[in-house]
Order: sequence, then C-alpha cells, then structure tokens
Amino acid sequence: MSFITAKNLTRRYDLSDPWIVRQLTFRPKRFLTAVNDVSFSVEKGTTYALVGESGSGKSTIAKMAVGLLAPSAGTITLDNHNLNDPNLSPQNQQAMRRRIQMVFQSPYASLNPRWRVGDILAEPIQSFDLIQGAKNQAKRVDELLEQVGLSPSDAKKYPHEFSGGQRQRISIARALSSQPEVIICDEPTSALDVSVQAQVLNLLKSLQKEFSLTYLFITHDLAVVSSVANRIGVLNKGALVEEASPKELFTNPKQDYTRMLLNAAPKML
Amino acid sequence: MKRFFASDFFYDFMRSPVALVSFLIVLFLILSAVFAGVLAPTNPFDAASLNLMNGFTPPMEPNLFTGDVFWMGTDDQGRDLFSAILYGLRISLFVGAMAVALATVMGVLLGLIAGYMGGWLDNLIMRFADIQMTFPSILVAMLIFGVARGILPPELRDEMAITVLIVSIGLSEWVPFARTVRGSTLVEKEKEYIAAARLIGLNRWQIMIRHILPNVLNPVLVIATITLALAIIAEATLSFLGVGAPRTEPSLGTLIRVGQDFLFSGEWWILLFPASTLLALALSVNLFGDWLRDKLNPRLK
Amino acid sequence: MTQPLLEVKNISVEFKTRGGALKAVDDLSIDVQPGEILGLVGESGAGKSMMGAAILGLIDPPGRLSNGEIWFKGRRIDQNPETLRGCEISMIFQDPLVSLNPLKKIGDQLVETILRHKQMSRAQAIDRARKGLIEVGIDPERLNAYPHTFSGGMRQRVVIALALAPEPSLIIADEPTTALDVSVQAQILELLKKLCRGRGTSIILITHDMGVISETADRVGVLYAGRLAEIGSTNQVLRSSKHPYTQGLVASTPKIDPSSFGQSLYQIPGSMPKLDAIPTGCAFHPRCTQGIKKCSQERPPMMKNTAACWLLEETRQGI
Repeated sequence: MSFITAKNLTRRYDLSDPWIVRQLTFRPKRFLTAVNDVSFSVEKGTTYALVGESGSGKSTIAKMAVGLLAPSAGTITLDNHNLNDPNLSPQNQQAMRRRIQMVFQSPYASLNPRWRVGDILAEPIQSFDLIQGAKNQAKRVDELLEQVGLSPSDAKKYPHEFSGGQRQRISIARALSSQPEVIICDEPTSALDVSVQAQVLNLLKSLQKEFSLTYLFITHDLAVVSSVANRIGVLNKGALVEEASPKELFTNPKQDYTRMLLNAAPKML
Repeated sequence: MKRFFASDFFYDFMRSPVALVSFLIVLFLILSAVFAGVLAPTNPFDAASLNLMNGFTPPMEPNLFTGDVFWMGTDDQGRDLFSAILYGLRISLFVGAMAVALATVMGVLLGLIAGYMGGWLDNLIMRFADIQMTFPSILVAMLIFGVARGILPPELRDEMAITVLIVSIGLSEWVPFARTVRGSTLVEKEKEYIAAARLIGLNRWQIMIRHILPNVLNPVLVIATITLALAIIAEATLSFLGVGAPRTEPSLGTLIRVGQDFLFSGEWWILLFPASTLLALALSVNLFGDWLRDKLNPRLK
Repeated sequence: MTQPLLEVKNISVEFKTRGGALKAVDDLSIDVQPGEILGLVGESGAGKSMMGAAILGLIDPPGRLSNGEIWFKGRRIDQNPETLRGCEISMIFQDPLVSLNPLKKIGDQLVETILRHKQMSRAQAIDRARKGLIEVGIDPERLNAYPHTFSGGMRQRVVIALALAPEPSLIIADEPTTALDVSVQAQILELLKKLCRGRGTSIILITHDMGVISETADRVGVLYAGRLAEIGSTNQVLRSSKHPYTQGLVASTPKIDPSSFGQSLYQIPGSMPKLDAIPTGCAFHPRCTQGIKKCSQERPPMMKNTAACWLLEETRQGI
C-alpha cells in the first residue's frame, strides 16, 4: 500500500522579464521547470531515497512533500491526503502537519540560535497541543533527548554549545516530537564529517525500526543511499530517470545518467 | 549577571580607554540629571525664586548686589546656571531616550513586517522610508512639530512641548532601524529553523515575533546608542531654534540660545557651560556607540 | 631517496585566547616528494586547513606558527614565506565563488598573475593565458568573460589555471571539489592529476573525503586533533590501516558496495575533542576500542614512519 504517493508532480518558476521589458524586446515568457512530471510511491515503513545533483529538483520535491511549497501541477499525498489542498480547513491542516515532519541539511541554520534546546523541542508539542502542562511537556522533552542519544541536561543549553552531529540529533528529536508517521530527510548528513555521519545514519535507522517511520531521504551521495534505502529514485534536471532497489541500481543501471553518476562517485579501494 | 562580568565583552570593555571613559562620562551625566533635585542649589524653573538682581553674575564671583556666589554664574534672569544645566540635562536626556525608544519600536516593527511579508507592503514601507530620508531629520522633526503645534490649542502648547518634541524626533529617526532589521529579516527568513516553525503550523506573527525578532536585535543596540546622540543633538537644535523646550523649562539647547545672545557682550559663561555639557554628553554617547558597534560586529568566523 | 620538495618539521600553530594557548596543529612533521600527490585527510577541526595555511604563512593573528621549521627545496621558508607565495607554491581554495575577483575578467586575472611572477611582455602573457585555459579545458575565447558567467566547475578550472600559471613546484589544494557536484568533481580531480603528472608538480590535497583521496593521492596523511595519526601510501593507509582512528574512519565511510546493503555503518563512538579539551597522552584514546594503559599517559610518537600509536611499539609484551 503506497503511503506517500507523488503523481505527475511538477513545479515551475516564472523567470520572465517584467511585462514592459517583454513588450519592448519581443521576448517570450521564460519558465524554469524545477520538477517535471515526477511520480513515485513509497511503502509505509520503508525508506525511499531521491538522489540527484544540484538543480535536479530533489529539494523542491521535499518542500512540496511537506507543504512548504505548492506544486504547479500534480499532487503529492500522504495516506491519500493532500497537504497542498487549498480547501483544507486549518484544523485538518494542523492534523496533517503533525504526521509529516522534516530534518534539514544545515545543522547550523535549522535550530534557532536564541532558543534553548528544551524550548525548541517543546514548541511542536505545544503547537500541536499534544501534552498539557509544563511539567509533562518537560518530561517528554527529556524522553526525546534520550531517544536521540543526548541527555536531559542538554535541554537548558543553546544550540551553539553543540557540535554539528549533536545538532542534527536535536533536529531529529524535534521532528520526532509530534510523533509523525513520515520524516522527510533533506540531505541530513551532507554537512557532517564521515564518522558523525555514520552515527546519525545509524540513529535514523534505529528510530525507523522503533517507531515504524517512513522516510523520504534526499541526498546527492550514492554511497550513503546504499546503506539506508529500500528503493532509490534518480533525478536529473527535474525528471525521474530511473527507479530501482539499491542492488539493482548498482549492479545493473539502465540509464546513461545513472551510470555516469556511479562512475563519477569516488570509490574507496 | 555573573556571566556578563566574566564575558569577553566585559573584559574588552575594561581594557578599552575610550569605552571606559565615555561610558563613565555618560553615567556621570545621567546620575547628575537624575539627582538634580538633590544636587542643584536652586530650582531654576521656579520663576518666583529668581532674583533679577542676580542676573549676569560671573562664575565664582560674589554678586555685586546680593553677594550670592554661583558656581557657573547666572543668566540674564538671575537663574543659577549650574542648576539650570542639571535640570536641562534631565530634559535633554529624557527627550532623547524617549525619542529613541519610539524610533526603535516603530523601526523594528516596520522592518520586521517589510522583511518577512514582502510584496507590496515591503515596497510601501521602504518607499516611505526613502522619501523620509531625503529630508534632513531636523526638517522632518520641525515639520511634525509645526503640524502638532498647529493642531494643539495654545494653552496646551507649552505643556505638551516635551511630548511633541519626543514624537517629532522619534518619528524622524525610525528609518535606520527599519532598514537594518529588514535586511537581517530577509536573511533569517531563508534559514531552515523558520521553515521548521512553519511546519508546526505557526502563523506569520508568531514566527516574526518569537523566532525572527530575537535574531535581528543585535545591531539594534548599536543603532539605538548612536541615534540617542542624534536625538539629543536634535532636541538641542530644535530648542536652540526656539521651537523646542521653552524658556521656563529650558533644556541645554535653550540655554545655549540664550547664551549665544550674550556672548559678545562679555557674559561668556552663559554659553560656555551649557555648550560644554552638551558636547560632553553627545560626544561620549557617540564614542561609546562606535566602540559598541566595533565590538558587537560578528568578527568570529 | 631524492631530497623532499617540502619538509615540514615539528610545526605547531597556536591561537592565543583568554584561557591560554590553543594548538590547532601540534608538533606535526611531514614531507612532500617532488611530483607526488600527498593527501591530507581529516575531519573538521583536525587542523588540515591550518597546515596548508601555515606552509604559506597565511595564518592570521591571533594564530601563529609557534614552533618548528618549514624547508622548501633545501631552503628554510617559514621566516619569509611571501616570496614564494603564488610563485613556487600556489594555492587552490574550496569555494570558486570567492576565489575569483568578480569584477575582473578572467583573462585579466590570469595575465596579472603571469606577469607578476614571470618576466615577459603583455602580449606573451596573454598568449600564455590562452594556452593555460586550453589546458584546463576552457575555450580560450572566454578570456574576456567575467567569473559569474561560468558554472562552479568551470570556475574551479579557471582557478586551477591561475594556480598553474606561474608554473609552481607545489600546489596546495584545500578541499578543491567539496563545493562541486559529484560528476564535476570527478572531472576536476582527473584534470588536476593529469596536469600535475605532466609537469611534475606536487600537490598537497586537503580533504575530508576518503573517496577523493583513494582516487587521487599517492600517499596520504591522516590528521586528528592537530596531530598526524598515520602516514603511508594510499593503498596501505586505506586497505591496511594501522591506527585505530584510520581503521574507524575507513569502516564508517559508506561505500557503493553490493555486499553492504542494508547494514548498519560502523561508527566511532564519541566525537573529535575541541581544541581546549584535548585529552592527555594520545588524543584519540577516549574513543579507541583497542587502547592500552600507556595511551592515556603519554603521547605516542610516529612509530616506524607509519602511525602514531602505542600499539605499534615493538617492545610491547605479547601480541
């Protein structure tokens, strides 16, 4: 049963010159198609990886999946609900938001530097009205911190007191705080060192098992993907060019672009 | 509090002669103004206590008629200059501080809105700012002052003079705040923690006030300090031109205007002392503001 | 063995802070042979960029080269590195966006660099610049173009042309491909390799990416907390690492390898210590699974020219 379904997902940006300029220079309107008719489906409890270079549209798809950006055409739905539906009531929108959260790429820009970690983690709990009472909320915050391998005493610290890897853990804890069913991971380890990356990837894996999470994993690194994904989709300039399981993709790539990516990836001896 | 004293900022502060001296001077002047009631030998605002015969007494010399001695001499109406300066400082500082507060609140809010909401609202606010900036702020202040004066009935004019001063100076100084905050807002808006806030369903105002505001306030302190110096000078200028604090409640600017009239007839002290005080105040505030700006600059990589 | 091109002897880079002096690089010695590509690999904070900057005297206060000597072609250079900068030793930085002056045409930047280090007429320099562009795979007609009209990969090629223009003996490349896409990265690395082999130029390749090292470097040095943990040929260091940190690093690098599907990655426990909290003895010992008592007490010197690890000590009892 497909849990996340993208159908003919498209996103266009209008880069035309202003009307006056166009009239004077006889230039047509110009559009940039960042995502072009992309369709895929993700089974519940699995990890689907979207791999592509910069400009492939993978981040745009992630934003559309989570409701930050509206598609120009097509839909992306979670359990058959469309987050981008303009007719959704605010309550339904909130209910949908609770079920799908995101972990971002930059450990430095994804946490508000002026807030304490405890407050950052408590905010979604309060906003979704999941637990009432400051004491109970604080308990949940402690629980979340421990789930990602940090300690309750970290709640009173500020983000800058943590390393990049620890900050990503805090981001993951924040994503978990609304008890979502889906987490969109937008290049969560690209900014991290190799040894830290391994820790964070392993953490994501164990959390997936523990909470039956479904992941949409965005990355440019084919090697990372081979250890986390059940299924891989390769994006090139906004189009989905190939889709397969990791084994199939690496041993028998069908498209030239995929082959090129595999060849270009630096190989360890 | 203890963390502040142990911080790098405080450490550098204690080691910078400019910062220390300017801060101490400002502190000294503020305290003098606050305790003017205690420190001043006379109340210069009480017309009944003035003795015209005391007029034009030079500093530290006994008056030819009454024998009273005044540290800084007296003006043409027998007002003790020392007391007048202390009380005048009060007005200068009060007007300056309140005007800056008004400018800060207005500028920061408008900057936040312009930066975060963008679109036509941003355009409107920024064009408004551009138009206002083409006029010297003194002119803008005079304009607002004049309008207010025109609207108010004559009995209220003197009483409201201070309020009108505050409003007119405050309204002329909001633009630097707005522009800076708008710029920082534009940067912060793109950061992922704002996207995360949107993902949990916060509305625009909640995001602006809770998340963006704390992160764009850094330069505001520096701008406020420098604007304070500008506001003090602006108030002095308006008073000097006769459209500010009245003679009955003179600020430093008013005293300077009086002093200027008598400079060339030999009563130099009526000009010198208020002017030096104003200079010391404005200069110290400015220097401290400059030092603050250099220190708070994000210099760490 | 030929005389090394560059000899770094026991250098330390210190930063003075209120709390004391912090060592970003601590007693590091390494050599570069003529014509070889030496990789310097390490995670962030390991001190590899500092090393590169130290060689050219590019450390800004409050940091300084507090110890040691740097010898280049048999002459000591740490006292006055400016004479060699850009001329005998060139540098390539990570971000091609900021390495090029956006207000100058690339042709002008090339010609300026050539004329600064070589005596020749302007016309000759322009000719050299064109040849330089052809070498790095850019159409020489683009001499008059501005940097912003090039893509990231093309810009990095221009930067390489700039670095090669004065015909240096050594290029220090600090994360030259980190900001580029994978496909472009491969091209740039190939280009660097080809050009340097062809001219006999040595390269110090600084990166955090083991894969890049594996494909490009002849020898590699592994840095940890400002110290050299292991050094050797790429094959040796990556396939049969001697230092536990290197072993952990190699094991935790994700690989495109059909047999590793769905498995958890090996992870080194803990994280790299901050400069103000470097452990006594071996800097890695708190995270090391194979440590012995001596590791927490004394800092290990480089053993057998391979790894700085007490486990390699010959006099150790038992095996």
